[in-house]
Amino acid sequence: MSAAPPTIGRFERLQRRVFRKPLDGLVTLFIAAILAWLAWQAIDWGILRAVWRAEDAALCREAHAGACWSIIDARHRLILFGLYPYDEHWRSTSAAVAIIATVILSCIPWFWAARRLISLWIAGFATYYLLMEGSPLGLEQVTTDKWGGLSLVLFLFSSVVLLGMPMGLGLALMRRSRLPMLRWVASLLIDFIRSLPLLTTLFTAAVVVPILLPDWLQGDKIWRIIIAFSLFFACYQAEVFRGGFQAIPNGQFEAGMALGLGKWQSLGLIILPQVFRHALPATINMVVVTFKETAVVIIIGLFDLLASAQAAFGTGDWVAYYMETYIFVALIYWAFITSLGRYGEFLKEHMKQEDH
Amino acid sequence: MTMKRGWIAAAVAAASLSGIGTSAVAESATLKTVEERGTLLCSGHNGSYFGFVEVNDKNEWKGLDIDLCRALTVAILGDPDKNQIVPLSWAQRFPALQSGDVDVVIKATGWTMGRDTELGLQFSIPYFFGGAQLMVRKELGISSASELGGGTVCVAAGTTIERIVADHLKAENVEHTMVSFEKTAEVIGAYKAGRCDAYAAWGPSIAVLLANQFEDADSHVILEDKLSAEPIAAAMRQGDEDWVDIVNWMLAALIKAEELGVTSSNVDEMTANPPNPTVARLLGVDAGMGERLGLRDTWAREMIAAMGNFAEIYDRNLGEGSPYKLERGLNNLWSNGGVLYTPILD
Repeated sequence: MSAAPPTIGRFERLQRRVFRKPLDGLVTLFIAAILAWLAWQAIDWGILRAVWRAEDAALCREAHAGACWSIIDARHRLILFGLYPYDEHWRSTSAAVAIIATVILSCIPWFWAARRLISLWIAGFATYYLLMEGSPLGLEQVTTDKWGGLSLVLFLFSSVVLLGMPMGLGLALMRRSRLPMLRWVASLLIDFIRSLPLLTTLFTAAVVVPILLPDWLQGDKIWRIIIAFSLFFACYQAEVFRGGFQAIPNGQFEAGMALGLGKWQSLGLIILPQVFRHALPATINMVVVTFKETAVVIIIGLFDLLASAQAAFGTGDWVAYYMETYIFVALIYWAFITSLGRYGEFLKEHMKQEDH
Repeated sequence: MTMKRGWIAAAVAAASLSGIGTSAVAESATLKTVEERGTLLCSGHNGSYFGFVEVNDKNEWKGLDIDLCRALTVAILGDPDKNQIVPLSWAQRFPALQSGDVDVVIKATGWTMGRDTELGLQFSIPYFFGGAQLMVRKELGISSASELGGGTVCVAAGTTIERIVADHLKAENVEHTMVSFEKTAEVIGAYKAGRCDAYAAWGPSIAVLLANQFEDADSHVILEDKLSAEPIAAAMRQGDEDWVDIVNWMLAALIKAEELGVTSSNVDEMTANPPNPTVARLLGVDAGMGERLGLRDTWAREMIAAMGNFAEIYDRNLGEGSPYKLERGLNNLWSNGGVLYTPILD
């Protein structure tokens, strides 16, 4: 509403839009009043009457008290780090920063060459793992079952996207292959995994696999979950890529051949860049959904952000303040997902420029 | 699943065959696994369950069930920290037990026939009793569950409470709507927000909530009908009786210690100077306490020194030493008007 071009006159434009007829004006005023009232309520509760410090928790019980942010002050380490040992939190923080830095760096076009990108991600993940696990660096060992909170979510999310993206591309290529065997295998896998809910897939990886496989093949639960989750992601992403492939006329392959390019060369130089561009909006969508879906790992006993938030208010002293905790967690999710969305926009713009 | 259970059964059968002719020394397959691993795997929760499984400000597990796990860890491995608490949801606890993700489920779990038979579990002696009860707003003017006709009841999903309330109301021919939520906090939230007329939960939990979390505690009332007396016990896989023995005697020793007045602070004194033969046996002054279970003779002494007796564990997590201040009530010793008792320590 407020983003009207200044040339027409912002006020005039606004007037024309929302006060055209007396009834319009009334409706506008009514809605504005409701919005203002809601905003006031939120500010009054969340800021003006709020209690901020953990030491002041007793004030939260007074009748006029608003939001009790004391719980965040007192329990934010639990929310952010889950069951990670208290004295080692700096490691969890640094590990999370390493992952975020990796993601941000890989948004910079300079890194968009296969070798640079791969080295960057390997470095990012190695840093994360070494810091979190600790024993190779001579730090106190922290087993994966203690990993939790925001740093676990970031790790799960980036591993799933990182493993799932190439797997998805591979599956999409297999599905387009001229060899019937490859085509069938890919179709079967994609259709099978897509017909199962994510929860079932993860539950199978967490609970059923240990019954079927010998101990030495099982690995930690967290790796089984990451592999299963990546497979799930890959199967959906493969279909997104397939859509991208279908948008490209066959003539381009032939044109590539006519220029003397090999099959893989024309794929890499001509087809894939366009596929990525076509598939971008849907891919960003998948990535955002995946970030949020990491919350289901609570069911198979990983202490993710949501689980640790629930643990934070799940004690006698704090149980009344679950609303504050959920709002805090929602803000964290919002911050990350908004950034992902912004990044998608940036990529789209960037690719548009490449067009010309 | 059956295959693995089959193997365990076979292993146990083999173990018991080889034991023929020798004295009946325990050879629990689970115990052996735990000792080889050097870590006991216990159940945690995906979040918190008031007083039983919680996480403190230092990101460590605490609670009654956690303390019992730690006590078991001391009994077996001699160190309360040599365990790993695996976070599990309510629904996941039994599959996790069957698949070997945990060695024992100590997680506010009710002993039911279905779980005992169909799910292939074994239960320890109960260590806690809690009955399902209902809380309503006073303004409804209800004094018994049978007057709840046409009302809505909020309950946590997948728990025994849900079934007990449904059965009770059905038997009384009370028309009602059941609304279930995954999380206890959500059930409370829904009740507070007026989405339901009644809140069904464990009597003790409701009392705790009412005392601590309701600004308007006076306008709510807990109905007197006790819909059940649910025995809470540890759950184990079928087929390893000796493991059940160990868990049973761990619980019995904690309760016995309370009965005999042995606490974490006087345990050394009592060991040096046992007042009677039972105490001497319990604390391993006289031999025999350990060998019969395949443990050290001093396991109970170490356990009580590290964790305290049952009363100390209760007070720390649910009673005076906790925010809940829950009275012992049914969960007192039989000699103090409760229902807790132990088998005989001979």
